[in-house]
Amino acid sequence: MSHSDTIPLHASSQSDIDEIENLINASVQSGPATVLPARPPSPPRIPVSSSPFIPSNLPPLPSTHQKPSFVPSVPSAPPPPPVNSHSSIGASGFGSPPNTLTEPVWETVKRDLSRIVSNLKLVVFPNPYREDPGKALRDWDLWGPFFFIVFLGLTLSWSASVKKSEVFAVAFALLAAGAVILTLNVLLLGGHIIFFQSLSLLGYCLFPLDIGAVICMLKDNVIIKVAVVCVTLAWSSWAAYPFMSSAVNPRRKALALYPVFLMYVSVGFLIIAID
Amino acid sequence: MQTFPPNNNGEGSSRGYQTLGSPPEGFEQQPPNNWKGVFSVSSYTQYFNVDTDIVINRMMSSFYPIGGDFFSKIDANPDLYGLIWISTTLVFVLASLGNCATYLIQKRADSSASWSFDVGYVNVAACAIYGYAIVVPLAFYFLLQYLGTNASLVRFWCMWGYSLFIFILSSFLLVIPVEVLRWIIILAAGIDSACFVAVNLKSCVEGNDLTIVVFAAFFLQLALAIFIKAWFFP
Repeated sequence: MSHSDTIPLHASSQSDIDEIENLINASVQSGPATVLPARPPSPPRIPVSSSPFIPSNLPPLPSTHQKPSFVPSVPSAPPPPPVNSHSSIGASGFGSPPNTLTEPVWETVKRDLSRIVSNLKLVVFPNPYREDPGKALRDWDLWGPFFFIVFLGLTLSWSASVKKSEVFAVAFALLAAGAVILTLNVLLLGGHIIFFQSLSLLGYCLFPLDIGAVICMLKDNVIIKVAVVCVTLAWSSWAAYPFMSSAVNPRRKALALYPVFLMYVSVGFLIIAID
Repeated sequence: MQTFPPNNNGEGSSRGYQTLGSPPEGFEQQPPNNWKGVFSVSSYTQYFNVDTDIVINRMMSSFYPIGGDFFSKIDANPDLYGLIWISTTLVFVLASLGNCATYLIQKRADSSASWSFDVGYVNVAACAIYGYAIVVPLAFYFLLQYLGTNASLVRFWCMWGYSLFIFILSSFLLVIPVEVLRWIIILAAGIDSACFVAVNLKSCVEGNDLTIVVFAAFFLQLALAIFIKAWFFP
C-alpha cells in the first residue's frame, strides 16, 4: 500500500487506507498465502477505490454516497479477492496459483490427461487454427509424446516374434532421436521454431501411427497392413505439414519436410515389416 | 646506432606494449567465441545455407563421373545437409529393401520361406554407412594435409555425402532377385560413384603427384558398393 501518492489524501481516505491495510495484513498472517494484487485500479491514483480490497466481512464501501469525490471507475475485471473465506485462491486471477502440491493425485492426473486430449485434438484433428502453429500448440507438454512413443515401441515389440527388445530399442531410439534431429534440422536451415514445442508436436503426430500399429498387431494380413499404414502415414504427415512448412523459408520447405516424411515412412515400414 | 635501441626500445616497448595491448584483447575474444560456438546452433547454420533447388542440382551432378567440377560448384557454399540426409536415407533404404531382397531370394530358392524381419540390418547399415561417410573423408583430409595439399574437411564431407546418392537409387533396383542383374547394377553404380569421387579428388589435388591417393579413394568406394551388395542383397 503506497502512501506516496501524488494527490493529497482526504482525511477520511487515510483512515480507510489504514483500515484496509490492517485487514489485509491480518489476512496475510492468518489465511492462505495471497499476494496483494500488483495492479492498482487504473484511473484513480488513490488506491482506496472501493471494490478490489473489500474483505468479505466488512460492508462494501459504496462509492456513490459516502465518497462522492471518488471516481468509481474501478476496472471491472478484477473481482474481489476472497481473502478470508474461500480457499480456492486461484479463481480470481490474483494471488498465487493453485497449490498443486496438496491437491489429490487424481486431480493432477486428470489435469494432465485433459491437456493431452486437448493438444491431441488441436494437432491431429482438423481445426481452424491449423495454419497458425503458434496458436495450435500454445500449451504444449511432453507427456503426450512420451506416452505415444513408448506405446508404439511396446506395440512393435509385442508384435515381433524374435529380438523383441532390439525392436523396442530401435523404435524408441528412432522416434526420440528423430524428433530431436528433425527440430535441429529446421533450426539449422534457418527456420524459427521453439525446440520443445516442435518435439511436442512431432510426438503428437505419432498418434495415427499408434492406431495403425494396434490394428496391424491384431490383423496379420499383409494387404490390410499396407493399406492401414498408408492411411495413417498420410494422416500423420498431414498433421505435421503445416507446422513444419511454416517454420522455414518457402524455398527450403522441401528440405525441412523431407526428413519428417522419411521418419514416418521408416516407422510405417517397421509396423508393416514386423512379423 | 647506440641511442637507437634504448630510445626505440623505450618508444618501441611503449608502443609495443600498447600494440601488444590490443591483440590480446582481440585474441582473448577469439577462444571464448570458438569454445562457446561448439554448442550453439547458430554457428553451424552456415553449413546448411542451401535451398531445395541447389541441393537437387548437386544430387544430379553426382551422377556424372566425368565432370570433375564438383568442388568448384560447392566452393562458395559447401553444405552438410546432403551428407546427413543422404546417408540417413541410405541407411533406411538398405535396411528395409535389404530385408525385402533377402526374402525374395530365399523365396526363389525355397518357396516355403516365410518373411522374417531382421532388425540387425538397421544396426549394420547405420554403422557401415555413417562410419564410411564420416571416417573416410576425415582420413583423406588428414592424409592430404600431411602430404602438403590444402584441403577443406567440410568440402570433402560434402562431396562424399553426395556421392552416396546413387546407391539409394540402385538399391531400389537391387531388389530384383536375379543374381546376375544385381551384380551388373551394383558394379555400374559402384564404378560411377567411384569415378565421381576420384575425378573430383584429382581436381582438388591438382599439381601434386598424388595419384595413389586418388586410386585409394576409387577402390574404397568400389569396396563399399560390393559390401552393400554382399551383405544386404545376397
